[in-house]
Amino acid sequence: MSIVHTEALTKVYGNTDQPIYALNAVSLEVEEGEFLAIMGPSGSGKSTLLYLLGGLDRPTSGKVWLRDADMSVLNDDALSRLRRESLGFVFQFFNLVPVLTARENVAMPLILDGVGRSEALKRADEALEKVGLSERGSHRPAELSGGQQQRAALARALIAKPAVILADEPTGNLDSRASDEVVQMLRQTVDQWKQTMILVTHDPRVAAHADRIIFLKDGKIADDNRLKGQGKPEQIREQLSKMALG
Amino acid sequence: MTTQANTKRTSFGATAWQMTLMGLRYLSGRKLRTTLTTLAIVFGVALIFAINLTLPGVGDAFKQTLTTISGADITITSVTGNSFVPEDVLPRVTSIAHVQSATGVLERTFTLPTLGGNALGKTAQIDLIGVDPTSAQSVRQFTMSAGRFLQVGDTNKAVFPAGIAELAPQLKVGATFPLITAGGLKIFTVVGLLAEQGSLSSPQMYVSLADAQAMFNQPGLINTIQVSLDASADKAAVQADILKTLGSDFQVATTSNAADIAVPLQAGLAVLDLLGVLALFLGAFLIFNTFRTVVIERQHDLAMLRAIGATRGQITTMIVIESLLQGIAGTVIGLILGYLMAAGLVSALAGVYASYFAGIKLGLSLTPSALGLAVILGVLTALIAGYLPARSAGRTSPLEALRPATAVSVQRTARWSLIIGVVLMVLALVMLFSGSSGAVGGALFFLIGMVIAAPGLVIPVARLFSPLLSLWFAREGDLARGNLARQPGRAAITGSTLMIGLAVLIAVTAIVSGFAGLVTNLTNASFSGDIVLIPQSIGVYNNIVGADSSLSTRLSALPETQTVASLRYADSKTEGQSLEVLGIDPNTYPKVATLDFNQGQADQAFVALGTGRNAILTPLGAAALKVSVGSDFALTTAHGTQTYHVVGVASDVLSFKINGVFISQANLATDFDKTEDVLIFMNLKPGSDKAAALADVQKITQDYPQFTAHLSGEYKDELIQTTNSAFYLFYALAILILIPAALGLLNTLTINILERTREIGVVRAVGGSRGQVRRIVTAEALLLGVFSAAMGVFAGVVMSYGFISAFSSIGWSMSFTFPLIGIIAALIVGVLLALFASILPARSAARLDIIRALQYE
Repeated sequence: MSIVHTEALTKVYGNTDQPIYALNAVSLEVEEGEFLAIMGPSGSGKSTLLYLLGGLDRPTSGKVWLRDADMSVLNDDALSRLRRESLGFVFQFFNLVPVLTARENVAMPLILDGVGRSEALKRADEALEKVGLSERGSHRPAELSGGQQQRAALARALIAKPAVILADEPTGNLDSRASDEVVQMLRQTVDQWKQTMILVTHDPRVAAHADRIIFLKDGKIADDNRLKGQGKPEQIREQLSKMALG
Repeated sequence: MTTQANTKRTSFGATAWQMTLMGLRYLSGRKLRTTLTTLAIVFGVALIFAINLTLPGVGDAFKQTLTTISGADITITSVTGNSFVPEDVLPRVTSIAHVQSATGVLERTFTLPTLGGNALGKTAQIDLIGVDPTSAQSVRQFTMSAGRFLQVGDTNKAVFPAGIAELAPQLKVGATFPLITAGGLKIFTVVGLLAEQGSLSSPQMYVSLADAQAMFNQPGLINTIQVSLDASADKAAVQADILKTLGSDFQVATTSNAADIAVPLQAGLAVLDLLGVLALFLGAFLIFNTFRTVVIERQHDLAMLRAIGATRGQITTMIVIESLLQGIAGTVIGLILGYLMAAGLVSALAGVYASYFAGIKLGLSLTPSALGLAVILGVLTALIAGYLPARSAGRTSPLEALRPATAVSVQRTARWSLIIGVVLMVLALVMLFSGSSGAVGGALFFLIGMVIAAPGLVIPVARLFSPLLSLWFAREGDLARGNLARQPGRAAITGSTLMIGLAVLIAVTAIVSGFAGLVTNLTNASFSGDIVLIPQSIGVYNNIVGADSSLSTRLSALPETQTVASLRYADSKTEGQSLEVLGIDPNTYPKVATLDFNQGQADQAFVALGTGRNAILTPLGAAALKVSVGSDFALTTAHGTQTYHVVGVASDVLSFKINGVFISQANLATDFDKTEDVLIFMNLKPGSDKAAALADVQKITQDYPQFTAHLSGEYKDELIQTTNSAFYLFYALAILILIPAALGLLNTLTINILERTREIGVVRAVGGSRGQVRRIVTAEALLLGVFSAAMGVFAGVVMSYGFISAFSSIGWSMSFTFPLIGIIAALIVGVLLALFASILPARSAARLDIIRALQYE
């Protein structure tokens, strides 16, 4: 059963005389518990696709469903609520609130949802434990390493038990060791809790951990590989460069 | 996999609490900026609170002096406060149902002269009550602690309440003391002390009615009827009956209307209130500016919150809570500061008051409305100023969170604001010149138009001044101008705050110099005589004891004397307006004092005053009654309403600030039964020795200690000096208003630098020296300062003109002099403030670590 489902999803920038198709009629189904990596050269539309899947942006035409909900018809408040309850985000620049502690940051989605503070913090501690950061909960973001900050961000994405986690270049701002640490954490999340994960990356070593990789080119799906986590970074890199040339 | 339904939306409080917590953390993370922004609210609230703390106190001080306490159930006085013949009224009161008994009283509170020692010890003023011993005791009980009460036939005997012992312990039964009366000093004997404590601020002194009538030179008259009711009486019903029986000339159990003299003072304090509002306005600007920057700075955080599901409303709430926290903190501190300021104000004003109105004690009055107004204005200002940026924060796209920090380009065309602002300014000028009634409104509209137009003016003005700037800062000037032009909105708001501050400074100097000129002119004209005899207080005559004709007769008999002229006084009320009636002798008064005529001819007016019921009104009086030369008006007198004819509109230094009417002393005696001189002017024969003459006069005034004699010249100087010293207060307030403006400047410069940290890093990386970076910031500050000062000069001139024509319209003929000194001061202050405000930001910009600055997001 697919959890995310798009139909002829299209995003056009620019004016009608010279339309630029960032995304051109993309139809895609993501299964529950699937770990999907979206790759492609810059300008291929991979970020646009992620924003549309996350309800952060609105399509020019086409539809996005999250389970039964047609996201393209929701108003801003309903969309906010959907993001809060059913989607989790991990960003390249972590985006933790600098003045809050790690556990307060993690608790934020619940607090925004009106859950009592102590209850929210209790669940934040559980989420931090999942990502192995229990002992760093009372630190502010500035006191954490990059990898730790990104793990806290993952805990924040997990806390509301979302249907899907969307990650935008989650390792883009990390060194290779922290990057490995974060990718393994993502893989573990999928394996242990059957968490659906959609990730945008340009790093073949990160994509290699995914169950499935789709390659975007000029706003269209150029290739769709099911690797079941058995991908080799070299192969992926080769495929990318082939696409860039072709 | 959705959020558990049972915990969802259980508490909105948790979200609000978390938002508050976050707000607090953000605020404490930027202590300097938070402090500066909060200070703006502090000053606004403090000013408004201080003013409203003192304002009612001033009014109360007057009322206190004028209120008297009696032990009777009901007290009847005439509406005008004038004396009347008891035979007409007393029997009608006694015949009203439930009235047990009634007694006629002649009562007056007056200030005791402080010169030459006071026979009544520490008593500053006394409430003298002339009673008929028999009927008074039927109205109320007088319980004695020593001696006896007054008896029929007593002359120069007095009874005091027990509290007098605290003020004048020597006043035991049998003691004698001198007291000022219209006929000179008289010796009284204490015959009894009451058991009651009495008033300590103005102790009651009971004498026989005949004594009181003699003291005030009002034979056969009373001014108060005290009534006692039987046990079954309904007080309110009897009051109504009394009013019905006696008609509209009488009032029941109210204080004298003379408290209305506080009106011009309240007008003055309203100007102070306006300053407070302007200060808050500045505070609002500052908060608005800060929060706009906060929103830009925190765009990433806000976008992330949006991405993880915060609604627009939640984001807006968060920023609003933050501004609310500052509003509340600022208000609390402002209230404390305001209280201290008010205390200072009162002690500063007390000195000035004492020289005008003796016996008035100023106090602070903490009313719920003063507190409420300050709190509401403070919190509301912060809320409104924070709301707009908060709303735009709510509109942050969650996509911002996914992108790396990008330079913010906000250069919006400010064309519309320029057009709207200019249109407003033109309308304001039309209002300003079309008539005096729109003058103040026109001035304020101009200010608002200027504020609106400001964003559109930043770039042209900056361009205009940059050649000048490049003389000092050859290369850095261009960069500074570019920086300013990049954020015209922010530069405009900062400029506007400073502009308002400077405009106020200019307006204040113009008003003060206009007012000082007015007072000087009037004073010179009013005291053209050689010697002036001043009573205990001038300006308020109803609580003093003047002199009967014995004093002027003795003065006229002096060999040096050429002319003696006097001023007499009565209270009146006409068409709901209280009016002070001043009696002059039209033959002698013009010789010793000059009235400044707005309408009518002096010669003709004085001649007319001597015949029939003719009157010269003060400009304020004419405006209040809406009459001019040639018209008639009804004057409520002690003997019913009389029609007077207006023959002139004129004033002098003593009457320009009151609703007043000059009539002849003959008419004052007929219509108001007043023959007491309250102010006396003398002209000496040519060639006489002024000092010797003054000595002779002072010998006579020893018998009339309520008067002090001065040479007019000396007194004039003293008066002018006292008046001018009151204006220093205005200067102090104008400077106070500049403080938030300076803070705004500092704030904007700091924010500009924070925002450009990366650019400064680049400038340094490509070889810019620390000195150059510092100069860029300084040049930017200077441009801002010059921009504000230029706008402030325009607004200030318009405001000065508006305020002065407003004052002129109420009859204070102030001339508008171009406030050159104010303008120069404003320019200097503007540039200095800009330089001062740039010190810290320039230093911190120059000290930025290059590598860190380059990495700054």
